[in-house]
Amino acid sequence: MKVVVATSISPFIDGGATQIASWLTQALREAGHEVDFFQLPFSPLYSEVLDQTLAFRLIDLSDRGERLIAIRTPSHLLRHPFKILWFIHHHRTAYDLWGTRYQDFPNTPEGICYRDAIRRADAAAFGEARRIFCNSGVMAARIKKFNGVDAEVLYPPLLRPEVFRQDNCGDYILYVSRLTHHKRQWLAIQGMLHTKTQVRLIIAGQPDPDSRVYLRELETLAQSKELGGRVSIIPRWIPEQEKIDLLANCLASIYIPLDEDSYGYPSLEAHHAGKAVITATDSGGTLELIRDRENGFVVPPDPEAIGRAMDELYRDRNLARTMGERGRRRIGELGISNEKMLQKLLS
Amino acid sequence: MKIAWFTPFSEQSAIGRCSALVVEQLKRFAEVDIWHPKSENLRASTVRTVRIDRPEEIVPANLAGYDLLVYNFGNYLPFHKDIFEISQRSPGIAILHDFVYHHFFAQYWLTYRNNPEAYKLTMERRYGQAGRREAESSLARKNPVLWETDRVVDYPLFEDIIGRMYGVVVHSNFFAEKVRACYPGPVTRLPLPYDIPQTPVTLTRADLSVPEGSILLVTIGHLNPNKLVHQIIEVLGRNRDRLKEIFYVAVGPCDPAYQERLQALVTQFDLRAKVRLTGYATDELLTAYVSHADVCINLRHPSFEGASASVIEEMLHGKPVIVTNGAFCSELPDDCVLKIRPGQEAEELPNALHRLIGDGAARSRLGANARNYAREQFHAERYVRELLPFIREVREGIPLLQLTDRIAVELNHMGATAGMDIVQSISRHMDELFSPPRTGLTDRTPI
Amino acid sequence: MKVAVVNNGVPFVKGGAEYLADSLTRKLEEFGHQAILVRIPFAWEPPNKIVESMLACRLLRIPNVDRVIALKFPAYYIPHPEKVLWLLHQFRQAYDLWGTPFQGLPNSPEGLAIREAIIKTDNTYLTQVRKIYTNSEVTSKRLMTFNGIDSTVLYPPLLETTHFTCDGYGDYVYFPSRITQSKRQHLAVESMRYVRSNTRLIVSGKEEAPEDLVRIEKLIKDHRLAARVTIINRFISEKEKSDLFSKALGCVYIPYDEDSYGYVTLESYHARKPVITCDDSGGTSLVVKDGMTGFIVPPQAEALADAIDRLAADRRKAQIMGEAGYDLVGQLRISWDHVIANLTA
Repeated sequence: MKVVVATSISPFIDGGATQIASWLTQALREAGHEVDFFQLPFSPLYSEVLDQTLAFRLIDLSDRGERLIAIRTPSHLLRHPFKILWFIHHHRTAYDLWGTRYQDFPNTPEGICYRDAIRRADAAAFGEARRIFCNSGVMAARIKKFNGVDAEVLYPPLLRPEVFRQDNCGDYILYVSRLTHHKRQWLAIQGMLHTKTQVRLIIAGQPDPDSRVYLRELETLAQSKELGGRVSIIPRWIPEQEKIDLLANCLASIYIPLDEDSYGYPSLEAHHAGKAVITATDSGGTLELIRDRENGFVVPPDPEAIGRAMDELYRDRNLARTMGERGRRRIGELGISNEKMLQKLLS
Repeated sequence: MKIAWFTPFSEQSAIGRCSALVVEQLKRFAEVDIWHPKSENLRASTVRTVRIDRPEEIVPANLAGYDLLVYNFGNYLPFHKDIFEISQRSPGIAILHDFVYHHFFAQYWLTYRNNPEAYKLTMERRYGQAGRREAESSLARKNPVLWETDRVVDYPLFEDIIGRMYGVVVHSNFFAEKVRACYPGPVTRLPLPYDIPQTPVTLTRADLSVPEGSILLVTIGHLNPNKLVHQIIEVLGRNRDRLKEIFYVAVGPCDPAYQERLQALVTQFDLRAKVRLTGYATDELLTAYVSHADVCINLRHPSFEGASASVIEEMLHGKPVIVTNGAFCSELPDDCVLKIRPGQEAEELPNALHRLIGDGAARSRLGANARNYAREQFHAERYVRELLPFIREVREGIPLLQLTDRIAVELNHMGATAGMDIVQSISRHMDELFSPPRTGLTDRTPI
Repeated sequence: MKVAVVNNGVPFVKGGAEYLADSLTRKLEEFGHQAILVRIPFAWEPPNKIVESMLACRLLRIPNVDRVIALKFPAYYIPHPEKVLWLLHQFRQAYDLWGTPFQGLPNSPEGLAIREAIIKTDNTYLTQVRKIYTNSEVTSKRLMTFNGIDSTVLYPPLLETTHFTCDGYGDYVYFPSRITQSKRQHLAVESMRYVRSNTRLIVSGKEEAPEDLVRIEKLIKDHRLAARVTIINRFISEKEKSDLFSKALGCVYIPYDEDSYGYVTLESYHARKPVITCDDSGGTSLVVKDGMTGFIVPPQAEALADAIDRLAADRRKAQIMGEAGYDLVGQLRISWDHVIANLTA
């Protein structure tokens, strides 16, 4: 089948949407489809949003390919008779972030005009799509709440889950993620301050461009005397193979961001490596994947609770292994796989 | 909210007077600056005023600090040309004080800009080939120029002021309907705010040399032929037996030709003892005449106004007013003014006058009703109360209109002509996406 | 520097421009820049979509980049304060192809209006860029003739050159290219009837239309050339291509009236092989100097055959010409160093 995959991008700022779109493109190609992938630039600056929204609308792919799969807004406004949306997130400042400190539209009648115009354009896109998928239950609920539309949850799989392997159940908990404040690596270190065992924590990931101060804070915290050097930080982009090795030998994984829309690739990768995942009750989308004491721990976002979960895994390696095994099964239960993804998107 | 309020601000400008009243109320809800063209006798203001020295230098960037621009438009060129030019570069809300702007544009293009072609194009753009023919005929001076005939009301040209505006305020329903018929944006009708001086009138009837015991009839304003002063004099002359006790004063400037015509009528009907034409009068004198008047006569045919400040002034003075039953005045309640049908002055005016002159109680009743109604309606506080939600409505449409403007600029750069499919298709896409109540690309595209 | 390479994209269609855009993006990264390729879908049927595409480009924004390098109509309309053009070609249907069978746009008031819109928009926005480079003298000349806009030629280099090597001068001439009428593989095949030396011809490439191949196969059969002509009728890998070049005696590249010199000639010179081309081939004349780096002959089978025989007769001369071709590429500054230094200046 000839398929066009399209998304919007902010150049050089990697986002989940770009990842999903390019993995989808590869998965489609590997399944024998002819795919063309368009990533169109998009500036989130509020005063330029309407012009660009209209620009996307003026792009006509009508007689190009049998399907258009649109990922990130406003690519959902591209013209195609057989358009499938895999909706990753709204222009959030016009939705759930309106009225919060993240609202970038001015709080004026003009700001309301921008907001409502974006919502109306979304309604137009939802109205003409053949199928509407989204990437998490959180998103489905948000789409239902704001747009009154039912979207089917289609969890994004990893492109190559088979590369993750399980070696030893080691003595360290692994936190692989971008180093940025709302991922709360600091909370993981604070959790370590409450541990009573010799469990270790490895934090690995690329610091965000503007997070130098954050990194320094993390490093200071990690050097606390009480920790006796049990926390290490690898503040750089982690090559795939290194990540695989780190995961294969860890005790368990931790992923405790604040209020994410989806479960996040780190949790998925940990489960594919047969590892349990510690997450927090306010982490959002992770709760769709992780069940407390089944395939990991769901604990309140407080250091003591996190420390207790770490200790428990350290003391009971069997528990850690069993939870990791269940994690692997859980992925199957949720139908997170490339086959399922293609089957749904092309049905 | 920060507002730039563009208005003439001379003591001679009725629009300036109205603006002063509104701004005084509006400043309770917004930060308001008054932008005014250069003129003598500026009004005092309690808000910051900015004088427009070089209008050509006032571009959108200079006004970017404002949330909204409000332009007051009248048809007097010296007061309004700067405001007009600025408004066409930096759109905002237009407040139309007049209905017919033809005189403004004729003078603007033919005299001020010396560009007859632009006048013809304007007429063609708004009224098609018929408009163009009228313009050409006026320029050839074959007939009396269009703007000196009654037919000018069919070519009012207010359309050319509001084409690019974000919203329009008018002061009467009849005008609101005319605007809505050709303008896709938000339109509202607000009652024109007006007041009368609070200082007591010191001049007596004797000071004004009004004959004792006479019934004083007064007409005020700029005495143009459409005020029908000639009709009034003729009626007084032909009905002198029925209207014995009257003394009629027409207060206000008058162009020489019309003045001559009126004088001739006075002589012809031998009314020198009963009719006075004052010419230009100070505010004090004008107010004195109105306050001593027994009946005010305020006819218009045709009417070029969006609303009549002089009728409102007379009503505020508690006077019985005889008006033409058309345009703004037809919208006044029947128990507040006495209306006569346009074109029927010769028949209806004598009867109306006779009735009022003979019935002091009726005069008082009508005057009291008029005053109560006018005080309640034509009040700045009420005006602002109704203006604020309209401002909000307009502002909620501005980003989409600005988007439309940006697209119009792009289309213009492409040399896209009105007939090209792109103009239709872009409008359709915008409707599909934003389903804005009104964007009206075709109206806003400068092609 | 953060650079966006902006090209238009027709879904599922890839040609020379797409190859160049990919190459440029990769090279920018090799030169230490951050680069991203942005393809803006372009549609032209019905013609109103051309104008929609133009407007779309005007309304798009590229945030977070320091430099935009735009290649084609209408993608080059995208606004950016630091935009340079490396113009491959304008919308030729509105220019030199107007009034020819390739006009594309309808000969109607609407078609005319669209043509005028394209010209006017080019005139407006092509002057609002930092600098305009083009890929050839032909493109520059067209831009000057139709729009009165000045530009500088920046010759497109090959993406990779290191794999082209010379492993002697064998017994065949090589003609790699898409098989199509305008590339004139049929003429090369026909010339083999007249070649007196024992030189063979190897043609590689996929046919554009079935009849292109049928015609060539018929020629081979009719003139019993099967032993002397090999047709490798498929896409071949870079490795296969460079292997074929390395042992070739020389290269034949005889398209009809092209704008550019063609990557084939550069590949040949990087393998130190001389190039035979025709005097009506267009852009090849920039890099093929008759008797110095190869031969330029009339588009006739006998003349081609004679050139091939001349190569075969003096292999030492063939080598000298191939090396001169390589030097010429350097002299013409057909290199990524030169291209990237200019585009990011």
